[in-house]
Amino acid sequence: MDVPITRFVALLKRHGIAISPAEVIDALQGLALAGIDDRETVRVALRSTLVKQCQAIAEFDRLFDLFFNLPAPSKPASPEAPGDAAVTLLPDERSAEAPDAVRAELAPVELATDQTTRAPVTPEREGVDLSLFGQHLLLKQRNDPGQDGYKPTFHVNARQNPGLPGGGELSTGDPGDDIDLGGALEALLADLRALEVDEALLEQLEAQLAGSLTRLPDLLRRYRARDAALHKPRDAATAPPRRSYRFNDHERRQMDEIIRRLGRQMRGALSYRRTANRRGRINVSRTIRSNLKYDGVPFFPVLANQREERPRLTVICDVSLSVRTTARFMLHLVYSLQSLFSRVRSFVFVSDLAEISAEIERSSLEETIDRVFSGELINTEENSNYGRALEIFYERYRSAATSRTTLIILGDGRGNRNPPNAWILEALRRRCKQVIWLTPESRGSWQLGASDMPTYAPICHKVEVVRNLDQLGRVAENLVRSAFANRR
Amino acid sequence: MFETIDQVVTLLHQQRYICDRKLATVIFLALKMNKPVLIEGPAGVGKTELAKTVARALDRSLIRLQCYEGLDEARALYEWEYGKQLLYTQILREKIGSLFAEMEDLRAAVEYLRQHEDVFFSEHFMVRRPILQAIAAPEPVVLLIDEIDRAEEQFEAFLLEVLSDFQVTVPEIGTIVAQHPPLVCITGNSTRELSDALKRRCLHLAIGYPDEERELEIIRLKVPELRDHLARQVVSLIRRIRAMDLRKAPSISETLDWAQALVLLNVDQLNRELVEETLQLVLKYDRDVQQVSAQLPVLLDGADGAARVTFDNMDLREQQERYRSNERVYFSSRREE
Repeated sequence: MDVPITRFVALLKRHGIAISPAEVIDALQGLALAGIDDRETVRVALRSTLVKQCQAIAEFDRLFDLFFNLPAPSKPASPEAPGDAAVTLLPDERSAEAPDAVRAELAPVELATDQTTRAPVTPEREGVDLSLFGQHLLLKQRNDPGQDGYKPTFHVNARQNPGLPGGGELSTGDPGDDIDLGGALEALLADLRALEVDEALLEQLEAQLAGSLTRLPDLLRRYRARDAALHKPRDAATAPPRRSYRFNDHERRQMDEIIRRLGRQMRGALSYRRTANRRGRINVSRTIRSNLKYDGVPFFPVLANQREERPRLTVICDVSLSVRTTARFMLHLVYSLQSLFSRVRSFVFVSDLAEISAEIERSSLEETIDRVFSGELINTEENSNYGRALEIFYERYRSAATSRTTLIILGDGRGNRNPPNAWILEALRRRCKQVIWLTPESRGSWQLGASDMPTYAPICHKVEVVRNLDQLGRVAENLVRSAFANRR
Repeated sequence: MFETIDQVVTLLHQQRYICDRKLATVIFLALKMNKPVLIEGPAGVGKTELAKTVARALDRSLIRLQCYEGLDEARALYEWEYGKQLLYTQILREKIGSLFAEMEDLRAAVEYLRQHEDVFFSEHFMVRRPILQAIAAPEPVVLLIDEIDRAEEQFEAFLLEVLSDFQVTVPEIGTIVAQHPPLVCITGNSTRELSDALKRRCLHLAIGYPDEERELEIIRLKVPELRDHLARQVVSLIRRIRAMDLRKAPSISETLDWAQALVLLNVDQLNRELVEETLQLVLKYDRDVQQVSAQLPVLLDGADGAARVTFDNMDLREQQERYRSNERVYFSSRREE
């Protein structure tokens, strides 16, 4: 049983589901306990032991269905056929039933070939194991107890019988090989004739083999199709970044998750200030001081704790025409930031600058975006003027930037040749704990046109290129990583 | 102890918890394999309830650890009882003084004291917090670690030793190993990604919203007073609301609250005013309430008829996706009219 499971695990891994060896052992243990009689039980046992990400469950189910779904024989073989047919394919009085048996037997071969092509160094035992397990599932699922245990034996014998379908040639999985196979069969028939077996039986055998040969290409095609389906890369991962402005649930959740991760980072390390608290470590100096009245006997220990700093965010977002394609994404980011953290102030600007914290509190994401672009708050048709916007921010909203805030600026830094007022950004940098600039433009294009990014970038603590969720996720990742590096 | 998967289903059902075979399989495996279960899913689908019910069904006591931001090992594992230690030192002052009387120099006194310091770092002076309680319990228990994603990532690290080996190491005393490994249920709302190390040690169970039949079954079991046709209407409408793009979709607990309210209000038929008045029970955000009440005529219209889509074993996102696309078609066709 372990071989098919490890193969299945390899398949899952190739499709991006991380699985550790310990989990594989768990899976086998689980299967042994839960039994493999019922297909759904097997599915749940494997899923609960192997797949720990909610997002990966759908992918797991798809692969499970593909991997453990053998193409069923078109018609179940008659129950009494197995025992004798398994011994040999040589015709006897029951050989009229044999075509069915052959067809039934091909199913396991199909799966076995699939496996051998992927891992060439497999002795035939593994193929047998796999078909045992797979068929067990399949048969039980179809509630056909009569066939139980029959096909595996049949398969073993077929494999040991060189020259019969299901032998080595098929294992290559190459459709071109069926010609060789035919030749081998012909040779076998000739040999049989030489042995002077009964002619009628030989003819029967011939017809039967011809039948399975004609089916072979079709079989291989089906196998290839299945193989292709298993190897198909995940569409989601390779799809180009989405440009749609409506956000579905999944994206929203992804955004929230990334922002939480960002937030944990921005929260920063523990502050050095220790505060007395109900829990924490004993603070020796304070304990002694406060217990002086008891003759220095530390009767009431004073516990102190390092407090973690909460993130205080101030977000300034450019919503001008030049960033219109990404502005909605940026506003989504702003919106999520404000809904997830308690102390966030949000501003939008083109040339004027306005606070939208209250809007975000009141209305939904779509409403906020519509309101911003409707031009009620600021004129969004103007050319963006970073210098002026910074000036307004500095004049009116300086209080939103304190030594404990992280200032996030979202924009491309294209001020249309207006004075960039970089000194304001410098002043803000001195005021704030951290200044992070997220721009949708890649670094290469900063030199083109009237971009002030080269001026602004060195002032900021961090400049990152972000235009979609994936990149935002990466930025969050990098921030976390660099934080760990600093701590060491 | 459960012997078969079907027995798990029956026993849980006896404890008034309706579950499918999937869920029962995971619980069965967790018990047999001595592995913790990590239960994830949206709020209110019965994650915590599952742990409680399993405890009842197994006739074990439940030890619960509610996670919160800032939870540390002193609250979760153990803590030294400083006050008691100090008190004992004071009371025993005379005795200690007499012991040291015969010591000729300070060095010898310190050496003597070092030999006896384990007196003050024994289990006697230790406050056992939930996890240590569960490990040290004389009979098997169920340990529920609720909403683990509320605690910080560092907290997960404390759990690792407990989850893989069912033991707690106290530096001053040594390692305390569980006589009877507890059944550990960890719940989470997937508000943040849990660490891989933690996930690797657990069996994973994702609970989503139940399908229509199961939700009906749950209502029948928990609110038997609600008339059947009304229950159907409620479930149908809830499922339509769930399909909408809301900040917090209603889950089973909200459905049950609502069903209970309808019984108390002695309602016979769902109508618009009534739903609008009671919508606050189902939805927790003002914005959601507004959004739903705006579309209520359409929603109710649909809720009257039989459900248009059948949902079998789809996962949560699929369900919502399917619902939404359905809804979109539905709405657009109405607009054309």
